[in-house]
Amino acid sequence: MSESGRPAARPSGARTVRAPLTDPVLPLAVLGIAAVAAALYSPMLTWAVTGGLAGYSLSGSV
Amino acid sequence: MFTAGLLAGGVLTAGVLWLLSGLFTPLPAGVRQGLIVAVALLAALRDAGKVSLRLPQNARQIPQDVLRRHLARGALQFGFELGTGVRTYVSASAPYALAVAVLLSGGSYVPALAAGLGFGAGRALTPALRRLSGDGERWDGLLARRLSGTTVLCSVLIAAAACAIFP
Repeated sequence: MSESGRPAARPSGARTVRAPLTDPVLPLAVLGIAAVAAALYSPMLTWAVTGGLAGYSLSGSV
Repeated sequence: MFTAGLLAGGVLTAGVLWLLSGLFTPLPAGVRQGLIVAVALLAALRDAGKVSLRLPQNARQIPQDVLRRHLARGALQFGFELGTGVRTYVSASAPYALAVAVLLSGGSYVPALAAGLGFGAGRALTPALRRLSGDGERWDGLLARRLSGTTVLCSVLIAAAACAIFP
């Protein structure tokens, strides 16, 4: 409850879902898992994932 | 168009590195693998601030007027220049580790192509996620707090991948 007695504003459902799905760490986690999986099953895909990691490491740089 | 440019730029740089990779094929595969892993670990240490090492980079920003002249063509050019990785600042060490990996990989062009496309796609993730987040400034803040750990982990993962994929 807020001080005015009304319930505190909560983020909408879409926003609640959107925030974790667009977290900057999420691609790193996905690419990390993909790198492990690809290293086991597809060396070629590992190269692509490795490239993705290198590209993503430049986040924030233009 | 921007993403297409990123992918094309990544493929171009990877292609050039692949062409040069022939010079290193006389080295035994084990030596090349060791060098790739060592460089990736060095990259991680550099990003962690444990090692001070100046690396070559084009210390400039891509001019914004590229986008003003013609939006679609400008987005393609802007993406292409970013995708090459040699037309602007390189703020992390992982791309150097990837470049060395492609340079020392030898053999077929397909791994280099995959790495180049992956690099472009990886660069495209940042603006895509920022846009999808719906709050670019908040997203920038989150990224700024996690950027250091992200860059280190990228290099560590590249080193780990190099241990596994080298022929």
